[in-house]
Parts: sequence; structure tokens; C-alpha cells
Amino acid sequence: MSHPYPAAPATKPTPVGHPAQRPRGDWSLSWHGVRTVARLELTQRLRSTRWKVALGVWFLVVGAICLLISTTVTTNSTRSIETGPLMFGLNVMFILSMGLLVTPTLSSAAINGDRIAGTLAILQVTLLTSAEIAIGKVLAGWVASLAFLVISVPFILWSFLAGGVPVTAVLSTLVLVTLMLGVVSAISLGFSALVSKPTGSTVLSYLTVAALAFGTLIVFLLTLIPMTSTQQSSVLQASEWDATTGEVTACEVQFTQERVMHTERTWWLLAMNPYVVVADAAPGHETFDVMRLDPLSGIREGVRVARNGASEPSSSCPAEISGVEEQVPSTAPVWPLGLAINLLLGAGAIALTVRRLRIPQGKLTRGTRVA
Amino acid sequence: MTSDLPSPSPAYGIVPGPAPADPSSEFGVIAHGVQRRFGSVTAVAGIDLRARRGAVTALIGPNGSGKTTLMLMLAGLLAPDAGRILVGGHDPVTQNYSARSQVGWMPDVFGTWDSLTAREVLVTTGATYRMSPEHSRQRAAELLATVHLTDLADAPAHVLSRGQKQRLGLARALVHDPAVLILDEPANGLDPRSRIELRTLVRSLAARGTTVLVSSHILTELDEMADDAVFISRGRTVAQESVVEARVHHRTWRIKALTPEPLLGWLRSVNLPCAEHADGGLLIQIGGEEAAARLLRDAIVAGVPVVSMSPSGGALEQTYLSLDEDRR
Repeated sequence: MSHPYPAAPATKPTPVGHPAQRPRGDWSLSWHGVRTVARLELTQRLRSTRWKVALGVWFLVVGAICLLISTTVTTNSTRSIETGPLMFGLNVMFILSMGLLVTPTLSSAAINGDRIAGTLAILQVTLLTSAEIAIGKVLAGWVASLAFLVISVPFILWSFLAGGVPVTAVLSTLVLVTLMLGVVSAISLGFSALVSKPTGSTVLSYLTVAALAFGTLIVFLLTLIPMTSTQQSSVLQASEWDATTGEVTACEVQFTQERVMHTERTWWLLAMNPYVVVADAAPGHETFDVMRLDPLSGIREGVRVARNGASEPSSSCPAEISGVEEQVPSTAPVWPLGLAINLLLGAGAIALTVRRLRIPQGKLTRGTRVA
Repeated sequence: MTSDLPSPSPAYGIVPGPAPADPSSEFGVIAHGVQRRFGSVTAVAGIDLRARRGAVTALIGPNGSGKTTLMLMLAGLLAPDAGRILVGGHDPVTQNYSARSQVGWMPDVFGTWDSLTAREVLVTTGATYRMSPEHSRQRAAELLATVHLTDLADAPAHVLSRGQKQRLGLARALVHDPAVLILDEPANGLDPRSRIELRTLVRSLAARGTTVLVSSHILTELDEMADDAVFISRGRTVAQESVVEARVHHRTWRIKALTPEPLLGWLRSVNLPCAEHADGGLLIQIGGEEAAARLLRDAIVAGVPVVSMSPSGGALEQTYLSLDEDRR
């Protein structure tokens, strides 16, 4: 008991201790700050034992389903169906679904859960900016969800090896699934900053994911009815043919009445769907082929057809006679728009989170504590 | 700056020395007319306080009097509805980042990053204050020794006891060597030895020039720790005094002799009323330390076998009870 009442340690005159740096605003970012928050979040997550179990279960479940898909597809295949793209497409859809299912849980309690646990305020009072806390937390949730994707990569590669899928499709799929999971992480984080209870933010995150994945499709289908109209049009149709060659020699105007669906007004609903974004970006056969059973190109075709919407009725009159060039349906990709909408949603969620993390706090949301 | 922050009212008992040109050079924390409401509940209705640099200021008040809300505002987490705050010379509303760099805050209830070890908690906190990894590690080792957690440095924080967590929380507030230290009920859950160590630590920090603001409702503890005291009740400052002065002017003393009769007789002869104390001593009312010294000398000269004489209750307790405003 030589020193029962020790004095505080003498601080060395190192200038590092007192951060006399320039003040930084709520939106300023440093990699150091983001990394500190992300590492803190991930370390805490990694040390919980459930993590390894979850990844193990995930591997088994994804593996089993992919195996099931692959065996079903191969055994039931006739020679006319290319099994590679079908296997690949189904596996990608399944892995994306599982990713969308697991990602909200990883981020949807990041802010309000910490607030309840009393570990948010002690980060806010430090020299971390609000943006650093928000981005660090998104990054942690994103990286965690990517762990699930990485574990699924063997199954994607496996179905790729079945053939018929360009290697660029594997790359575009991985990149876009990664980005979409990032968007879902950001949206979940936004809800955790908005709502005071973790259960509430989790439910809202799942509802949003469901709205993107299914809601867009449902709304698109429901709007088909008001978008359908009967259109009267006059079209030049072939009327006389050359007796020997069978070529059209003359055309006449015919009046037709058709029911058309103006999906060119609503196709963007489908474009924001994460499945559409992933499927549309995967390069494949751009022409429609009845013998192909490939979910990715199926979705791609469907959306691109919807974008063209109500086209002019087809004419049997060749262009040399009618003077009207035949309209070729556009095959421009849909995914850049869809990805942009999703990235905007994610960015908006992060911006909201940063605003919510700003201190000193003025108004408090009902039911929240500062610390 | 001096114009909108008037010097403290003399009634508060702070000895106003020669007024410095800039009050923020003398006071680490200045709050003036601070108000804060939560919906319809007024948590802080008007608090004025000044905490001197290099001194420990106690914030005393009953439960729900607004201590924690005030401390949240001083830590820069909560914006006051009205009034002005300066912490380490910075306004936490307009210069939040600069104010934050000056403040170490230990909340009353706080969580720990449960799966991190005590050392990692401190190293991470160092990183959040933009300290270099080496400096953070060195500082963490120093602080773990200071709060006697070196043995548990590499155990996960969730195995720590309540008191140990509290000590870790204190160490965390000190990582960046703040100029202003705000401790909200720091002694909660601490064992007696840790309380003594806390007191010593706080005193030595103040001796090095840190402004320490500490809240507690255990008055005897603050008696020995604080230089100044600010009493708040129902969200208002009701008194501000110097603890040293309170001690000097302490009025109730307890005196005990081998046998009570000669003491009683002598007290009667000098015409001093007294009351019986539970432990067999007598309580007397006198005019402070100087009078006590005189009384003791006279009693011994008169042959009274005095064994002890001490202030009864704490210096702060007297003021606190005299406020008569405490419970809601």
C-alpha cells in the first residue's frame, strides 16, 4: 500500500492530445473517422457468437437451395433448353432475395439501438462528425451484408461453370447486388435514425424492401387497367402482291381498333425494382428466343418491352412503299435509371441520418433520450 | 463579451477577485439564464452558474431538478431554448465542434461497447478524438493504471462490475485530456476506496487547471471534493457558494467529553445552549471555525475533558437543508 491515493498521471506536453485543429462541420468526412466508427461496429458484431452461426446456416441454406435448383434444372432439361443461364438466373435471384432479407436486420437498429443502449451520445460528443458516424455505420452494415454475399459467391461461380453465361454477367451481378445491398443498408440506417424503437425501424425497413421488390410490380400491374385504352389508328397494310416474287407492290390504308397499354408511362416503376436492376445489367442474348428459359433475360425483355409501351400497330407494308421506317424497339439498358433511383434513395437516407445525428439537438422525437 | 454576462451576484458568495477582461479565461464553464423544455415539461427554467478553472464545482440538487439536462447542454448534446453557455471559451450551440474538443463528459447512465475490452474502449475513444494510434494506446495504458483497471484491461467490458464500468467511463472522459470535465453522478456504484480515489483524482485534475463540474446528491462526498457549490432546484439556480466559506462559517458543531456532566456545566456557565446528539455528544451553535477554536481552547483551559469536536453534518448539507425547496 505504498500509493493508496495516486495522483492523476502527468500529461506530457504532446500536442496530439489537444486537438487544436480547425473546427469541422457536421458534413465533413475523414476516412479516419469513418473507419473508426465502422471498425467499432464491426468488432462488436464479429465478437457476438451468433454471427458465425448465422453465416454457417446461411451457407448451408443457400447451398442447399442452389443445389436443389441446379439438380432440378439439369434433370428436367431437354436438349432444347440451355440449363446454364436458367441455373445462374435462379441462383442469382435467390441470393439477392436472401440478401434483401438479411440486410435490414444488420442496420435497422444502428442508431436507435445505440441510443437505447446509451452508446450513441458518447460517440456524438467526440470529435467525430455526424457524417462520419452515419457513413461509418452504413459501411459496417454494408460490409456485414456483403459477408453473406461473399459466402454465396461459390454458388454463383458454380452455376456460372454450367456454361452459357458470359463472365461479364457474373461481374455485373456481383457489382449490382453489392450496390443494392448498400442501398438497403442506407435505407435501414435512415429508419433507425428516424424512429425511436428498433422494432419500428426494422418493420419499416422490411416494408421498404418489400415495396421495392414487390410493391413496384404490384403497382405496375394495377396501373395497367387505367393505362389501357382502345386506340383507333390507320395503318398502311399490304394490298397487292407481285404474282411471281410475292413482293408487296401496293398498300392501302386500313383502320384498326386495338387495345393498347401505355406502359411507357409506368415502366419506371419496374426499373427501381432491385431484381430488375440486377437482371437488366446482366448481359445476355438481346433477342427474344422462345427456347430460352432464363429468368434474367426474361425480366430484361419484359421491362424493355414495357418501356416501349403502346407502339404503332405493326404494318405489313414495306418501307419502300409506305416511306415509314419500321420502328425497332429500343434495347437500351434500363438498369442505369433504376440504379440511380435506388442510389438517390440511399443517399437521401444517409442525409437524413446525418441531420438526425447533429448536435446540439433542438427538438427531440417523442420517446427518445439524449443519453 | 463581458457586457452580456454580468458578474455573479454577491449573494451567491463567490469572492469576486479582480475582474478579468474576459470571463472565459477565469471560468471554464459559464451558463447564463439557461432554459430548456421537453414538450410541456420544463426541465431547466433558468440556471446561472460559473465554474472556475482549476477548481471543482459541485452541482447539487434533488432528483429531477435539472442537473442532467444542464450537463447535456454543457456537453454540447442538447441545445438550450434560451440563455447562453460557454464551455472552455466556446459556445456549444454555435461552435459545437470546438466546445466538444474541450469537454470530457461522463454521463450518469451510459452504455459500454460490451464486446470490446476495457483497453479497446479507451483506444477507440482516443481514435474518436483524432489521436494517433500510438498516443491512444499510451494514453489508454496510463488511464487504466489511474482507474486501477490494468488487471482487467483485456477482459471484455461486459464482465466488469458496475463500479468498474463507472471507473472505465471516467477514464473514457479523460482520454483527450479535456480542459473541462463534466461528471454526472460519478460516484454511483463506487466502493468506498474507489470514491476516495475518485476524489483524489478529481482534486489532482483541478490542481492542474482542469475545470471540473460534478453532480451528486451525496453531500458529504462533495464536501471533501468541491471548492464551490451551485444549488439548483426545479430547474433554477437557488444558491451558489464557496465550499471553503461554508466550512469556515459552519454553525453546528458536535462536541463530546469523557463524561457529559462537566461539559454541560461549563456550557451552561458560558451561556451556550446545546442539544443532545445521538452518540452522546452535544450539538452547539457557534459562529464558524474561529469561534470553534476559541471555544475548544477555553473548554480545555476550564478543565473539561473534551475528546472530540467537529462540524456536524457537512458544510453543504446545511445550505442544502436551509434551502427548503428540495422535494417536489
